[in-house]
Amino acid sequence: MTAFWDDVQLAGEAIWRVLLASLVLGAGLPAIFALGIRSLAWGTGGDAEVDHAPGHPVGKVVAGFLFLLVAYGILSGLLFIIASGQGKTLDFSTVIPTFTEAS
Amino acid sequence: MTSETLVLVLVVVTALGFDFTNGFHDTANAMATSIVTGALKPRVAVALSAVMNLIGAFLSVQVALTVTNAVVKTFDQNATSASDALTVPGDELLAIVLAGLIGGIVWNLLTWLLGLPSSSSHALFGGLIGATVASLGWSGVNWVGDGSKPDGVVGKILLPGIASPIVAAAVATVGTWLIYRIIRGLTERYTQSGFRWGQIGTASLVSLAHGTNDAQKTMGVITLALIATGRWDSTDSIPLWVKVVCAVAIAAGTYLGGWRIIRTLGKGLVEIFAPQGVAAEASSAAVILSSSHLGFALSTTHVATGSVLGSGLGKPGAEVRWHVAGRMAIAWLLTLPCAGLVGAAMWGLGNLFGLGVGSVVEVVILLALAGYLYWHAQKTPVGVHNVNDDWEQPTAASSGELTAGGVR
Repeated sequence: MTAFWDDVQLAGEAIWRVLLASLVLGAGLPAIFALGIRSLAWGTGGDAEVDHAPGHPVGKVVAGFLFLLVAYGILSGLLFIIASGQGKTLDFSTVIPTFTEAS
Repeated sequence: MTSETLVLVLVVVTALGFDFTNGFHDTANAMATSIVTGALKPRVAVALSAVMNLIGAFLSVQVALTVTNAVVKTFDQNATSASDALTVPGDELLAIVLAGLIGGIVWNLLTWLLGLPSSSSHALFGGLIGATVASLGWSGVNWVGDGSKPDGVVGKILLPGIASPIVAAAVATVGTWLIYRIIRGLTERYTQSGFRWGQIGTASLVSLAHGTNDAQKTMGVITLALIATGRWDSTDSIPLWVKVVCAVAIAAGTYLGGWRIIRTLGKGLVEIFAPQGVAAEASSAAVILSSSHLGFALSTTHVATGSVLGSGLGKPGAEVRWHVAGRMAIAWLLTLPCAGLVGAAMWGLGNLFGLGVGSVVEVVILLALAGYLYWHAQKTPVGVHNVNDDWEQPTAASSGELTAGGVR
């Protein structure tokens, strides 16, 4: 039975970390994307928003920045899949993720 | 041709058949939400998913020889050469793998007929466990890990099977809630078109991750069979042709599209709109990638289903059809025992007739069963023409024994 509880404990630790990482990436990035859509709507104005207010140019700039942020997140995800497929890990210590040998 | 060669050929062909069912069974995981919201046309969605799976399969160069090891004690990882590493004689291993694969395929086809998403890896593991118990006894199965990492039936199958849908649902619930909070005050038309783009990106990511994870399993099984017959002697590489055929098989299966399952996951569980689709696929991608980074094997199907469920929980006023979810949960509980029973029965048949003749008998039975299930499915076809029909109202396709919703 000890082996069984070992598994439960080890799995529990892994699940906890998966949950935290997934909340940041899986709920955080979509929220940023939603903020981007919101800013774009603010920038577009007219029929985008329920109140039909005129567009504000700053909205489009902010939206562009937010979408770039999301793109960076997705790109990191892609690189991550490629890296782990090649038996490497990604190093995020600089802004641009780089491949390193898996330890 | 010796009987051993014949059996090897049958194992390879059956493994590719499994890979193919794995492909169409899991198209829904990545694409169901994009198909129902109209982000992608059905044909375009399955084509995109197939291409992503093909690329994904080639991206992975890591060797998944130990895939069977998670549940069956077949392989000593400390051995120096591949032939020394086998802890079970080659012909016994071939018999177990063939019977296990057939158990997995039969369960995949049955759940496809019923339109239920269920884990292909669990089906394969179930079949292998059944065949191993029949062959080597209960002690031949790796029930628990050795205390260093979650392993065995408990650590690799049962616990992740319980945890992954819950984690994915929690993440998707939070994501959906946040999104709807943020886009309050925007017009419906504007948000739908914006989020459809997000759906395409996130769904592609899930497809790619699926290709790297799932095609690898079949590659590992085939390579294991090659080692068992002394035709390959490396534990850290896979023959190129194995990689090519596995990648093509899973991509072809994906392109075929498991429309029955796509319909259940996309329409049956929750009525999905584009913002929910983004939240669901982003949650799936994040959970799959972060868990594989931590060396914790999750089933894509369980994650995707949990995410869709969460996208219904997180949207104010959305309805989750719990009876559909309950039916899926029952299918998941039955996966291991049912695939195991088929695996054990197949191993028994093989044992009765001897390895050579027995394997032919097993494959003939598999083909007959597959033909029957396919014929049965054709009576109530689900395809591009009706995949997005309303769930509750009876449609032309769902008349007859499969009433409202297409699954019973």
